Amino acid sequence: MKKFDYLFLSKLLPFICGLLMSVQVQAGFWPDELKVHGFLTQSLFHTSDNNVYGNSDDGISPGLTEIGLNLSYQPFDRLTLSAQGLYRRAGKVDGGIVRLDYGVADLNLFNTQNGRIGIRGGRIKVPFGLYNETRDVAFTNPTILLPQGIYFDRSRSLLTSADGGSFYADYNTQYGDFSFKFNLGMPLGDNEEIRSAILGPRVSGQFEATPAFATQINYEINGGEYIFAVSYMDLELEYSPSDNEIISAGSTTIRPLLFSAQYNGEHFGLTAEYQYRWNNYKDYGVISNLSFVTESWYVQSSYRFFSWLQGIVRYDQISTNIDDRGGKIGVANGLPQHLSYAKDWMVGLRWDITSSWMLRTEYHRIHGTAWLAQADNQDNSKTRQDWDLYALQLSYRF
Amino acid sequence: MNLLLCRLRVEDNFILRLLLLISKAKLNRLPIVFIIFLCSISVSVVNATEIVVNQSVPHYSSSLNQTRAIFTMRQQFWPNGEKIKVFTLEDNHPAHQHFTKNNLHMFPHQLRRVWDRIVFSGAGQVPTTLDSEDEMLEKIANTPNSIGYLSNEPENEKIRLFISQ
Repeated sequence: MKKFDYLFLSKLLPFICGLLMSVQVQAGFWPDELKVHGFLTQSLFHTSDNNVYGNSDDGISPGLTEIGLNLSYQPFDRLTLSAQGLYRRAGKVDGGIVRLDYGVADLNLFNTQNGRIGIRGGRIKVPFGLYNETRDVAFTNPTILLPQGIYFDRSRSLLTSADGGSFYADYNTQYGDFSFKFNLGMPLGDNEEIRSAILGPRVSGQFEATPAFATQINYEINGGEYIFAVSYMDLELEYSPSDNEIISAGSTTIRPLLFSAQYNGEHFGLTAEYQYRWNNYKDYGVISNLSFVTESWYVQSSYRFFSWLQGIVRYDQISTNIDDRGGKIGVANGLPQHLSYAKDWMVGLRWDITSSWMLRTEYHRIHGTAWLAQADNQDNSKTRQDWDLYALQLSYRF
Repeated sequence: MNLLLCRLRVEDNFILRLLLLISKAKLNRLPIVFIIFLCSISVSVVNATEIVVNQSVPHYSSSLNQTRAIFTMRQQFWPNGEKIKVFTLEDNHPAHQHFTKNNLHMFPHQLRRVWDRIVFSGAGQVPTTLDSEDEMLEKIANTPNSIGYLSNEPENEKIRLFISQ
């Protein structure tokens, strides 16, 4: 299997990409109804303490690679078929496999000069906040690391895509454009990071998701100069303990409500998102039934010095439990107190070398470890509360 | 080098329009004459772009938000029910920048954001990007139900201006 991975990575993938790109270039051969796009991103990380995407502590980790290739085809005017394959390698969390990121049949049911209604079926991206649907595409993200208080990387598989159906409606007026999405489907997530994020590092059973819904209302003024959105999700995960565990087969529900606002000026940009998340744990036996609220928010400001050079500053914070902002409950359970929060100041610079190539770098000063991946930091007691993160990213798209 | 020049031109153009705005705020006449002179130079660099359609497209007057909806792919059909085919130029092409700002009253990065979200989330298709205005002229002339933009009014019987207010 390892050999296959290696072969796939080193030979097959560049070959496929190269082939598709060369075919695309030969205009005329490619039918107009079929479109191909893709991206390749490599990021490097260095941290003063704690590990992100591999061994970044006192070294440089090339642990984050993202390669995507998508096709879309319109067999009929009202039907669009599209699919995207995603290869992602992220430290010890994600060993690097190719997955179907989305595979969608989109049927347009109703269309006027002022709006449309449609349905989608298949594997669908989850609408959540401003960045979730394209979270793995570097060009669409403001920074290398998305604000982790909201766009967790460790439990991302719950948020990326779901197998099911979606209803959408758009209404365009002279006062702005409204969009509505409602998704119902099975989230993809059941991995160790989700387990560790929910029940802590010491359990060994399995989580399984049940059908969940996600919905979003979006209002944009002046073609996206001002954007306002509200997103809500309802996720339930059922736990099956392993044989030697004393914990029972309980369940956890997670219900995040997210408010988003963004200003996109010619040069200046301002973004803020606020998340209020209800968490419920029940029937775990040794863990008493409990409910608590997680709060996270960030404010981000960007400035375009030229159309190709952009600077960005952001403050991002999360409190895992708003009734225990200092982390005392964690300490009582033998965990470091800084596991319950994270406050992250960052500055970054983005250079769009051409419309296909982008290079950027950023620096983070972080207080707390709430969003550190367990797989990259096996021993919680060795993590540090105050740490620095440096990142560099090169991305290509077509 | 060429790319850098394009950028400079666009930035210049922006500064000139800013000057024009200031001139509207009732300054004395001399600077106005000077500014108009400067603007005429800038116009010679990038002509005002016009939205154009293939002759098959029905005659009607489109509002600004309806025209935006066509280019952001939210409106996909003409009033007669035919599927719209949208053509654009590269993001850093001077005509694209002029078109986005003056015909859509948006910024190129806003359109890019909308298109990227569609392409990379499986929400449909985006406009076909062409290399030059010559190619744009040829595509609009030969593709029924197509829309695009040009910086010179076309002298081609298969193409006409699109009315957008």
